[in-house]
Amino acid sequence: MSDPLITNASVVVDDVRMIYRVNAEEGDGRRRRLWHRATQVHALKGVSLVARQGETIGILGHNGSGKSTLLRIIAGFEPPTSGSVLASSTPTFLGVNAALQPELSGTRNVRLGLLAIGLTPKQADAAMPDVLELAALGDAIHRPMKTYSSGMGARLRFAIAAAAQPDILLIDEALATGDAATKARSDERMKTIREQAGTIFLVSHAAQVIEEMCTRAIWLHEGQIISDGPAHQTARAYRWWAWCEAKGETDKAQVVLDDVISRYSRVRVSLAEPRNKRTRKARARR
Amino acid sequence: MTSVEYIEQPTVRTEYVDARGLVPVGRRPSLHDYIADLWRRRSFIVADSRAKSATSNKDYLLGNLWLVGRPLLDGLTYFVIFGLIFGARDGVENFVGFLLIGIFLFGYTSRCLTGGLGSIASGKNLIRTFAFPRAVVPLASTLREMLSTFPVIVTMIVLILVIPPHARLSIWWLLFPAVFLLQTLFNIGVGLYAARFGALVPDAKVAISFISRLWMYGSGVMFSIEQISDGHPLVMAISQLNPLYCVLELSRDLLLYEKPGDATLWVVLTAWAVVTPVMGFIFFWHGEEHYGRE
Repeated sequence: MSDPLITNASVVVDDVRMIYRVNAEEGDGRRRRLWHRATQVHALKGVSLVARQGETIGILGHNGSGKSTLLRIIAGFEPPTSGSVLASSTPTFLGVNAALQPELSGTRNVRLGLLAIGLTPKQADAAMPDVLELAALGDAIHRPMKTYSSGMGARLRFAIAAAAQPDILLIDEALATGDAATKARSDERMKTIREQAGTIFLVSHAAQVIEEMCTRAIWLHEGQIISDGPAHQTARAYRWWAWCEAKGETDKAQVVLDDVISRYSRVRVSLAEPRNKRTRKARARR
Repeated sequence: MTSVEYIEQPTVRTEYVDARGLVPVGRRPSLHDYIADLWRRRSFIVADSRAKSATSNKDYLLGNLWLVGRPLLDGLTYFVIFGLIFGARDGVENFVGFLLIGIFLFGYTSRCLTGGLGSIASGKNLIRTFAFPRAVVPLASTLREMLSTFPVIVTMIVLILVIPPHARLSIWWLLFPAVFLLQTLFNIGVGLYAARFGALVPDAKVAISFISRLWMYGSGVMFSIEQISDGHPLVMAISQLNPLYCVLELSRDLLLYEKPGDATLWVVLTAWAVVTPVMGFIFFWHGEEHYGRE
């Protein structure tokens, strides 16, 4: 069977593996050594996926399944142990860290953020009112950012990131904390970003959020993709499994998991393109 | 928790992707692109350094007065210990001025070293939120030190003019800004080196206080190396290769002793001021992929 060539790919994750070396805990019965013993943690065990323009992709999985690691690798914050990530433009990441410069006011943080994403001072001044309106923080915008709640901080960062009109946006559970009043506003902005043929990755362990906001969902389990399909389908299977787990019905959960795995076929990425052509194109882009 | 074995032989589906227009993510850009990108963010460097200076010393009651207060108290301590008790002031002309210049100017480089070391850690929120050339962070840190050192230098000049035996204005004072410039260039390089070490080796923070102290004694901040070693040729030759020794000796000659300073020292200092930032920049750029690590 020959599949058609995917021409509108925005993010390609090609067999990414991530191995962390972490310091082992005491209590394994061995004598304490002078230096810490490192053990290996396989956070990602060969993840491949192709994201197309206009897709909003949810990444599901319980804690420690590797979702955040995958997002950080797509963002380019750390290089994978093996494998590679290609993207059509530099992804913009929205993490859960509380404040940019905690001591500074929201306004000064906005300006700093706008300069960081590469705006000139003039462009930053022009974009300011729009960002402040989207953030909708009222008088709090003049307070130091360390006094913000995590939801307020997330909103401010989202507003800054949206000002850059990112082509690829990566969100790490940040927006799930918004309240009803501001959620409508950011939903609207999300829609605009999506219409600009952008690609959004949204990491969450709440199936509900994924189902509402995404077109496609990926289920990550212990560092491997075990399901990839329409958001409602993946999210329902995940919710069913999570419910069984929560109730302690391990057997049932195992059945769900096995079923999900049996229906999934792993993806292998093949980059179809003469090499010299790509380098020329990449050079022309600069 | 239910778990799965590594999926051995599942069905595999191949996706053929047209890779034109796709570029690797998180890879270190070429040095040329990196510098160009950095140049575009120059206003970000300035903004970040301002943000930093607004927050440092904020927790103290006296705030930024400590920029001057700290070296003054240091000076007093060293004056008592080295000047009076160990007798380092014997044979040193204008020991008070000698000591003040030593402490204030050494402190500049020492702060750049410490600032650079912690810069990646303190900038981690920005680094993990936005994509920009990471060299912005240590450069902003050194820029902030430079800006906050201006009032410190003014204080130093006032002090050496006021405290007897007063230093006299001479034509050679005009060369002092050159020394300051060379020291600043050197500090930029030091900050870049320190930033990568600090980001990769957490233990560097512990080591730095020893290194910094060793460097301070080795640069003759509070005593004259020439006197202590009786002008031993090997000791003097090694000292003259130390950029901070050059900074201190030249500044003292220019400001206190109405001399143009030794030509060898000028050459050595200039070499350090050119080589260190260039090598430091390349060294920092080499680690570019790793600064966002948790």
